[in-house]
Amino acid sequence: MHYAFHFNVVWDHWRDLAEGAWLTIQLSALAMTIGLVVATVCAYARTAGPTPLRRVVTAYVELIRNTPFLVQIFIIYFSLPALGISVEANEAAVAAMVVNFGAYGTEILRAGIESIAHGQIDAAMALGLSRLQTFRHVVLFPALKTVFPALASQFILLMLASSVVSAISAVELTAATNSLVSTTFRPFEFYFVATGLYLAMALGFRALLGGVYWVVFMRRQGI
Amino acid sequence: MSKYLKHLGMALMAVVSVALMAHEASAESTLEKILNAKKIRIAIDVANPPFGILDKSGQPDGSDVAVARQMAKDLGAEIEFVQVPSTGRIPALLAGRADVTIASISVTTDRAKAVMYCNPNGALSITIFAPQSVKIKAPADLVGKRVGITRATLEEATVPKMAPEGTKIVWFDDLASTVQALLSGQVDAAAMTAFAEKTVSDANPAKQLENKLLVTTAFYGPIVRPGDFELRQWINTWIFINSRNGTLATIYKKYTGVDLPPLPTI
Repeated sequence: MHYAFHFNVVWDHWRDLAEGAWLTIQLSALAMTIGLVVATVCAYARTAGPTPLRRVVTAYVELIRNTPFLVQIFIIYFSLPALGISVEANEAAVAAMVVNFGAYGTEILRAGIESIAHGQIDAAMALGLSRLQTFRHVVLFPALKTVFPALASQFILLMLASSVVSAISAVELTAATNSLVSTTFRPFEFYFVATGLYLAMALGFRALLGGVYWVVFMRRQGI
Repeated sequence: MSKYLKHLGMALMAVVSVALMAHEASAESTLEKILNAKKIRIAIDVANPPFGILDKSGQPDGSDVAVARQMAKDLGAEIEFVQVPSTGRIPALLAGRADVTIASISVTTDRAKAVMYCNPNGALSITIFAPQSVKIKAPADLVGKRVGITRATLEEATVPKMAPEGTKIVWFDDLASTVQALLSGQVDAAAMTAFAEKTVSDANPAKQLENKLLVTTAFYGPIVRPGDFELRQWINTWIFINSRNGTLATIYKKYTGVDLPPLPTI
């Protein structure tokens, strides 16, 4: 195989790549923030809610965890207009990522919640804390601390999986890369650089989340 | 110990001779490799009717596939199809996953910087089409409209140039997604080959899709890796013979329903 590498082509188009990477970061961060709220509400409903609600949440979690992400994206992007709801590609991408992360997050948080000893909840009730206060201070906070590494990993997976939203015309890093490859015909250079950017973003997010963990959980514990 | 050394020596010799053989093999031209192995790897795009499709039993079909099959037959080689999306047609060739790509790749000067074109074996038109209710009579009417196109296609190379500023161009990774976006109303209009347009319009009469604008007409041909002159020469000879004996015209007419225009050479 004869292939001469020309990385200067990549440099000529750095702005397109940077814009793509920035959109990947925005979509992922937004989806994680909203998704974490969805996951918390669903995990609460699944562990402490009434039976019918538990069944609904279980159905949602199993439906999302057992179907491909790409199919979920296509359904949101292509079916919603048929129902009269207009969605832009980026909105559809965030919606699909929230739905996806919410389901996985629910399972992870549920595992954390179930690890809390029942005696602690009884003790909190005996001290006169309300159900919601007990959930917040005695259940959710220690549960989040326990499962934080798993949530962080799931978030990195979500960020990497966001590459498939290029299929619905959201111009994130993979879409930007594909466009550049198809106009410059330098596939290896652009895919190598895109790989490097994804790696850097994943490591960056990991470090950031590690920092969040320290500030929220470790420092507080020290006080 | 001496026995051990002897074994080691034999192992080393084996490694060296294999390496030498590999080196000799790499000195072969791609055409020689194909003829010696009696096998040719041809990259095709089966999501691009009527050039490449999957038939009802899931087998590759279409005018490109028919051309590829006939070419392999005349070469005396077994065919191995490498199925690629439209974005993978050139990368698969450059990465050495295929010996030649036959996937209605229209001739552009930009693509010719990356790969070598053989002589054209067909022609296609790119058109913009939309539901009847969408008013597009001239390129200026595209302003404010969302126009879907597929990456790594001739429409990607031509539509952004002809569309006036203010046109919202929306890129998809494959033709199926572009078509779905048009049918679901995620885009107002879409650009693709006139043949694909006809297939989509015929399959969805309720959408009342109609042809709006002609973007360009172009010729397409097989591509090979830069430097594969022997293979290119053989393919050009094949195209010369088969355009004279009518084989190419028969295949083109069978799949597209129109007559093959006279083919120029590169």
